[in-house]
Amino acid sequence: MNQGYKQVKRMTPAMRIIHWVNAFSMVGAVITGLYIGHPYYQTFMADGAVDKYIMAWNRYGHFMIAIIFDVTSVIIAYLYFFSRFEKPYKKLIPNGKNITEFKAVLVNLLTLNRKKEFDSSHADSFNTVYFTVFHLLLVWMLFTGLQLYVHGLGSGISSIGAWWPWMLHIATDWTIPVTGGSLMDVRIAHHTSMWLIICWVLFHIYYQVWRTIFWKEADIAIVIGGSKFVKEDTLKA
Amino acid sequence: MSDRVEAVKKLFTSKSSRVETNKGESYYQELFIKCEARLNELRANTPANRLDFADLLEENGIDRREFMKWASATTAMLMLPPMFTPLVADAAVMMNRAPVIWLELQDCAGNSEALLRADGPKIDEIVLDIISLEYHETLQAASGHQAEKQLEEAMEHFKGKYLLFVEGSIPMGMNGQYGTIGASGETFHDHLVRCATNAAAVVAVGSCATFGGIPAASPNPTGAVGVMDVIKNKPLINIPACPANPANMVGVILHYLLTGQIPELDSLLRPKFAFGYRIHDNCERRAHFDAGEYVEVWGDAGAQNNFCLYKMGCKGPMTFNNCSIVRYNEAVNWPIGVGRGCIGCSEPDFWDKYAYERPMADAKIKAPSGGVEKSVDEFGLGMLTAAGVGITIHAAASAVAGKREKSGESHE
Repeated sequence: MNQGYKQVKRMTPAMRIIHWVNAFSMVGAVITGLYIGHPYYQTFMADGAVDKYIMAWNRYGHFMIAIIFDVTSVIIAYLYFFSRFEKPYKKLIPNGKNITEFKAVLVNLLTLNRKKEFDSSHADSFNTVYFTVFHLLLVWMLFTGLQLYVHGLGSGISSIGAWWPWMLHIATDWTIPVTGGSLMDVRIAHHTSMWLIICWVLFHIYYQVWRTIFWKEADIAIVIGGSKFVKEDTLKA
Repeated sequence: MSDRVEAVKKLFTSKSSRVETNKGESYYQELFIKCEARLNELRANTPANRLDFADLLEENGIDRREFMKWASATTAMLMLPPMFTPLVADAAVMMNRAPVIWLELQDCAGNSEALLRADGPKIDEIVLDIISLEYHETLQAASGHQAEKQLEEAMEHFKGKYLLFVEGSIPMGMNGQYGTIGASGETFHDHLVRCATNAAAVVAVGSCATFGGIPAASPNPTGAVGVMDVIKNKPLINIPACPANPANMVGVILHYLLTGQIPELDSLLRPKFAFGYRIHDNCERRAHFDAGEYVEVWGDAGAQNNFCLYKMGCKGPMTFNNCSIVRYNEAVNWPIGVGRGCIGCSEPDFWDKYAYERPMADAKIKAPSGGVEKSVDEFGLGMLTAAGVGITIHAAASAVAGKREKSGESHE
């Protein structure tokens, strides 16, 4: 390590675990979801239908991942407000300080790191907003996805009781009018949002790598080791 | 306060497509007594026409046993317990006491065809034959002022008692001038409103009458809408599908005749007994769906083995209807049974959003920018490509800027 660098803790182990659970869930959800939308590989015809369960397994995987996403979303929503480490909601409030910081980070990105007029040691407003967009997209996917799911529970009963479809209707029926009025609109919205999320991931990975290369503060280590390194003189400034 | 509680309750229950198939012993006992009383009352009334159900059955070679089989199947379809079978049979016989006025608006008359043109009339069709059809624009012999007079008389005579069946959408564009009817050139809209005023209930039959259907498909040149967008202050039942299944029409009339009430409806005002489940839930090819066995090309080995039609664009997983159980033409067959996918004809906007005969992911949808049609995946890949290009440019520019920095013109 260069002398004069200070280690700054940025993510707790719990945050890092959630990040990677989300990342792998994301990949799994896309792989299984694309199959559900349009089965893109074929099964062996010679086997009897009872021996294979390809679509069913894909749906099973997709729903299991959805439940994991549900749980991590609840935890993240909680941490946004009640984390003892850093409360991200504070960076979302559109006050003068946050807006200035948001602009400064954006300017840094657009000027290709020629200008860097903000404190890069802590979580910045720009990234927090960007992460929040992801969480909102995810919540949107959960609501539309659960709406598609409850269509199969027309009997009003499920293996875990009647409360589950009842609750799903209450929680997700609003997605039908919001997306355009038919069940197909919910499906189209769910599928299109997948592409938005993939685009989000693409820029996210790029931006974190870009920061690591150009800021020279080991930002990529945040999500693995939990901390980054900042020049001590900039810290004091 | 209490109506606010009611409003919340309504909000939380009305949108649900939940079907209550067992409402408990006491509920059905009470309903049974109510229905019996109502049938006795009807029996005392003079029939509105002279058609005799028993004679008609005999003429068409249908014996009592076959009729009772139909009655028990219909009872099951209405989600009533078996003890209601004799009542359903009675109600069918008394169908000639149910005055019906049938309007034909903007559509292809396919629903009338569905109930009239079965090659040998089956019991459902016979039941529909003997309903007291007071006025049917396509079928009646009268025309012009004569027909108009007949309508006036029927509406006056059965004031508040007749069921108004509506087939076809209502064009709202150009003040409704896209469709007029009768000697006075009344618009479809005014015609419908006038006939609905004194109806006991309005039954919208077929996808056009329910959600606008094909006339309302993009770009909807006539501004077509369904009946429920025009008639707001009447009990309204939607029986969508293209055409509506005669079995479901009979079901609704029988239910009305039996109980004097309209059946339980879902959020789209469709009777839950018919539209409570998806086609997919009771599909005979469902096992192939779960197994991942799909027809890839028309006529391939999968098609010969009755594989799932999902990849050929079947919309059974998003379509609520009972045709996988009831089928068409007295259970002779149905779309998936003949080896082609469901086009979701009983869902709103089905022509634009369901009937493209390929999986949704491959469908041409309107891009958010409007105009240009792209499939969801093409659109998504386009977005991804744009993001990728942007990133590449930024990365390259950053790299160049970094080099320049190293060669001495650092800003730090």
